[in-house]
Amino acid sequence: MSREAYQVPSLGGQNAFGDGFAGSMDGPVVAYLCGECNSRVSLKRGDQIRCKECGHRVLYKERTKRMVQFEAR
Amino acid sequence: MPPRRRPQASAATNAEAARNAAPGRKRPSQSKPTSTSQPAQAPEQQQQDVPTEKHEPYIPYPYRHRDPFDALLEPFYYNKSLTDPINTAQDKWNLLPAFLKVKGLVKQHIDSYNYFVEVQLKKIVESSSTIRSDVDHNFYIKFTDIYLGSPRRADEPQDAGFNVESTISPQECRLRDTTYAAPIRVDFEYVRGRQRVIKRGVSIGRMPVMLRSSKCVLANKTPSEMTVLNECPLDPGGYFIVNGTEKVILVQEQLSKNRIIVETDPKKEIVQASVTSSSNERKSKSYVVFKKDKLVVKHNVLSEDIPIVILLKAMGIHTDKEMMLLVAGVDKVYQEDFAINFEDAIKLGIHTQHQALEWIGARIKINRKQMSYRRTHVQEAVEAIASVIISHIEVKNMNFRPKALYVAHMARRVLMAKNDDTLVDDRDYLGNKRLELAGQLLALLFEDLFKKFCFDIKMNIDKVLNKRNRAEQFDAWSVMSMHGNHITQGMNRAISTGNWSLKRFRMERAGVTHVLSRLSYIAALGMMTRISSQFEKTRKVSGPRALQPSQFGMLCPADTPEGEACGLVKNLALMTHITTNDEEGPVRNLIFMLGAEDIQTVGGKELYAPGCYTISINGTPTALTRRPKYFLEAFRRLRRMGRISEFVSIFINHHQRAVHIATDDGRICRPLVVVENGKSMVTAHHLEKLRDGTMQFDDFLAQGLVEYLDVNEENDSLIAIYEKDISETTTHLEIEPFTVLGAVAGLIPYPHHNQSPRNTYQCAMGKQAIGAIASNQFLRIDSILYLMVYPQKPMVKSRTIELTKYDHLPAGQNAMVAVMSYSGYDIEDALVLNKGSVDRGFGRCQVYRKYVTNLKSYSNGTKDRLDPPQYENDAPIRKHALLQSDGLAAVGEQVNAGETYINKSTPDQAHSSGITGSDLGRPVSFQPTPMTYKLPDPAHIDKVMVSATEGENQLIKVLTRQTRRPEVGDKFSSRHGQKGVVGIIADQSDMPFTDSGINPDIIMNPHGFPSRMTVGKMLELVAGKAGVLAGHHGYGTCFGGTPVEETSRILVEKGFSYGGKEYLTSGITGEALPFYVFTGPIYYQKLKHMVQDKMHSRARGPRAMLTRQPTEGRSRDGGLRLGEMERDCLIAYGTSQLLLERLMISSDRHEIDVCETCGFMGYLNWCQRCKSSRGVVKMAIPYAAKLLIQELMSMNVTARLKLEDEFPESKGR
Repeated sequence: MSREAYQVPSLGGQNAFGDGFAGSMDGPVVAYLCGECNSRVSLKRGDQIRCKECGHRVLYKERTKRMVQFEAR
Repeated sequence: MPPRRRPQASAATNAEAARNAAPGRKRPSQSKPTSTSQPAQAPEQQQQDVPTEKHEPYIPYPYRHRDPFDALLEPFYYNKSLTDPINTAQDKWNLLPAFLKVKGLVKQHIDSYNYFVEVQLKKIVESSSTIRSDVDHNFYIKFTDIYLGSPRRADEPQDAGFNVESTISPQECRLRDTTYAAPIRVDFEYVRGRQRVIKRGVSIGRMPVMLRSSKCVLANKTPSEMTVLNECPLDPGGYFIVNGTEKVILVQEQLSKNRIIVETDPKKEIVQASVTSSSNERKSKSYVVFKKDKLVVKHNVLSEDIPIVILLKAMGIHTDKEMMLLVAGVDKVYQEDFAINFEDAIKLGIHTQHQALEWIGARIKINRKQMSYRRTHVQEAVEAIASVIISHIEVKNMNFRPKALYVAHMARRVLMAKNDDTLVDDRDYLGNKRLELAGQLLALLFEDLFKKFCFDIKMNIDKVLNKRNRAEQFDAWSVMSMHGNHITQGMNRAISTGNWSLKRFRMERAGVTHVLSRLSYIAALGMMTRISSQFEKTRKVSGPRALQPSQFGMLCPADTPEGEACGLVKNLALMTHITTNDEEGPVRNLIFMLGAEDIQTVGGKELYAPGCYTISINGTPTALTRRPKYFLEAFRRLRRMGRISEFVSIFINHHQRAVHIATDDGRICRPLVVVENGKSMVTAHHLEKLRDGTMQFDDFLAQGLVEYLDVNEENDSLIAIYEKDISETTTHLEIEPFTVLGAVAGLIPYPHHNQSPRNTYQCAMGKQAIGAIASNQFLRIDSILYLMVYPQKPMVKSRTIELTKYDHLPAGQNAMVAVMSYSGYDIEDALVLNKGSVDRGFGRCQVYRKYVTNLKSYSNGTKDRLDPPQYENDAPIRKHALLQSDGLAAVGEQVNAGETYINKSTPDQAHSSGITGSDLGRPVSFQPTPMTYKLPDPAHIDKVMVSATEGENQLIKVLTRQTRRPEVGDKFSSRHGQKGVVGIIADQSDMPFTDSGINPDIIMNPHGFPSRMTVGKMLELVAGKAGVLAGHHGYGTCFGGTPVEETSRILVEKGFSYGGKEYLTSGITGEALPFYVFTGPIYYQKLKHMVQDKMHSRARGPRAMLTRQPTEGRSRDGGLRLGEMERDCLIAYGTSQLLLERLMISSDRHEIDVCETCGFMGYLNWCQRCKSSRGVVKMAIPYAAKLLIQELMSMNVTARLKLEDEFPESKGR
């Protein structure tokens, strides 16, 4: 009975949807560069956006490793 | 949070420290003789010394101009023969860079914000510092102090005490879409239980911080330190960053407050004096009107006009004689005009003050909602006269005398204007205007919010205190922290929407703020000097739009938009400063010290006695002097000595026989060199001192060599433009005549040789030029950003260009121009471009676009997410080709139309609670909401930024880049309002060439010159050519610049024709062109209007839902409208079938069933009205027509379709 009783939605309750969901399929790691100290930051999906070295909140994606061809005109 | 690393920053500070400690400086004494300059100047001063000590090891980089102005202050420039015609006081213009160094172009904004933050904020809180409760009379909250902290992020502790310096930078706020704000902190005391509690440094909200203001992290930073913060050292500042967008509070122009303005209405035969009173508590407008030979007082609280005699009587002027003298003096004419007014009072039987008050009290509109107790008429009248009518004159201790004098003064001004038309005031005169700046507007806003905050707290506390027995001891602090958001949000909302709606001041203004235009550096700069007028735009009167002579030197005569806002939007000139408020009290004391009599002690006879001048402070008559000239000179002498603020102005008005002293804010003023006894006070040795840095602009002010004059005082002086013009009576000398122009018009070379509208056109176009925007342009992520690939500084510069540092962030290229006809592709201002030049990078630009999304979290705990690309046969599907595993496009890839760069998906039940109902326990399903690239032209992904907003939502910004070379149809313009589109790009081999083998980059049609009369452009070409040949820049400064004689001489010396013409050989035939061609470099700007962004065509495509007609606009792949006028042409021509096809068949043809019997529409071959299908026929009409019929029917208007055969059978018989 107690299980069906009303539960006040809280942060813990939200995990059932958002975070828990993201955690269940932890995607591949993608590397970013910190906008402040330029160190590499590897983030998984659902990770907080924050540089692990300096705490800066602005990260940029690294340039692709694929070859890019430009048309020189 | 781990400590942040900023290697360069620490290095810079180390170097700084070492430098400061370094002994043996070349000029150890930086002390200024009578320095009043801000201490902030000192470190900058020392910076300049650094280059002299080049060999010190701890300077890690070679010296570059640290202070952008020091280049101008270096003797380097003196050795060059600057041909500006200033010889006697050599290089007097050097005061200008010195002025700009302390004042700067946007200093008005910054000064006003600083004044607000440092002074006004405290005054506002002082005026309503205590919150008391109606319930518990022992309870109170008293604010003892208020101050702004240093800027910090919203998630950092706001209260004082946690003394961690925030590492926030403006650039971070731009990138993260946050607000650059600082906590507003208060010290307060309140009662908790029985004790008095004192709290300090509690944050009550966050105030957006103006960039480069005293509270900004950029204040007093050197350019290298600013670079470390990713900030452009050349950025003017003066704007706010709210939710990531840069917002400017434009300067607002208004009629001055608390001043009497006399106007006439010849139609109604009215002469009236009006005054807009503005005090902290109230704003109101009062009039004294001369109507039907009588003087009456008008005001909003009065239900009818009051005869002036009654008002004066109510104010305690008892005898008619006294009244007569106060208004009319002993002048017979005025006395006669005024005498008739006594009749009214006598007729109404009003003889005493009490009677007068009674009479007025009966005519006061009572619009008080909560009248706690009824007041008698007399009380009502006393209240109204004391605090509502002419409210800026305070009534202290029921002393109505000052106010009565003011009313009498207004009445006299009316009588004077009635008898002499010339005494009517000019509303458009700049001296009658005040400019309202960011600080004042924010002060109004903050006052409103703060009072509301206090009121909310009071209500809340009353509510809590009303409860008899509380569980815990009541702590007011908790209530206060609850309301913290109101001030923050109120400020943010006002600045980001631009709506200033303040109920208390009955102020409702929209469009106060604008997004800072970052099209080009000059556009941003131009925006900071812009003034918007409060006049409505629809009125046809030309007065407010016309150029006023009093604008000379204050507002730029060239820089105003064309069309609707022409003349209403203005720009500040280069040297303009806008005053902030100065204290009135000391000035008042000084007046009496200088021997003036208090006006309250004198009667009307003395007041208007011959030779007597009244002295008014801020429009209020305060004192009387019999020696106005002496008074004026003494006052000015004191000001030049620095005893009074330099921004206090004094001037004499002989018509009114009044001396006016102004200390209020918003006056426009500019500095001028003082001339005494026919000699300029600034001499060569002062300028030498200025050059070697021992004197600064403030020292010039302090020593009385230079002073600020506002518009009114300027009108009172004789200003010589050049030193040679100084005569006996000259009082001032212009610092530099080219400062009549503003920053934007200053870019034009030789503007004084152009027809004036051309300069105005250039002012509009210079803001659209593509160039360098800021030195941090590649770090910025703007929604659209145009950058030139190879910008060049102009060959022909001007002093203004150097001072605004346009040559550091230029927007254009020096094109070799041949003025000749070439093919037919250059008619109507079209330009011929050299393909070789285009290949080499002429006019090449980059376009950056921002695409932004926010991963929102919803109330039920679900969140948007990014999905990895979809795979098919082990390869990502075509749309997802760019995506990497994080669901974002790879940086550097080319993105084409239809490709996804952000693969976002949104939860389906985003808005259900997820707690109850059918969604309970179900797994969340996601709907893909990807962002796909829409433009037809591909771009490259330049940057992908991920960050978090203030609400901890993930923020993704994708920046795309396109590189564009000029193509046919792109718009170019020189700096003389001569715009043109590219008509053809000709092969280099086909272009003509000169003797020296030079191909022109641009061929311009000579027909552009005769009607435009842009002689400046020709001079630019000649000066530029001479500069190229001689290896220096030409100067095209307004009213100066390199004279043509000299440029021609150089040309001849170098073996060219003196006029800039050259012998050209045709590239097509190889033959000599049978004419000489005017050839040389002209600075050309590429404007942002490019064909690629406008090119559009459509055969079939989307239709609007309601009308089923084709959509409108390129962005919606819309159709090309055949408009009304085109329709008229087709009707006139008689092509009915074409008309039918254009207007219906190709647009919104719709088949309907019409019932012939009833004329209504049916459906499916059935008439619902007739309940039959007998008369139903099919026909085609435009869907819009069907819609109209149905809409009419919905309004109960019948619209029947009467049908007849197009080819009736009967007619055939």
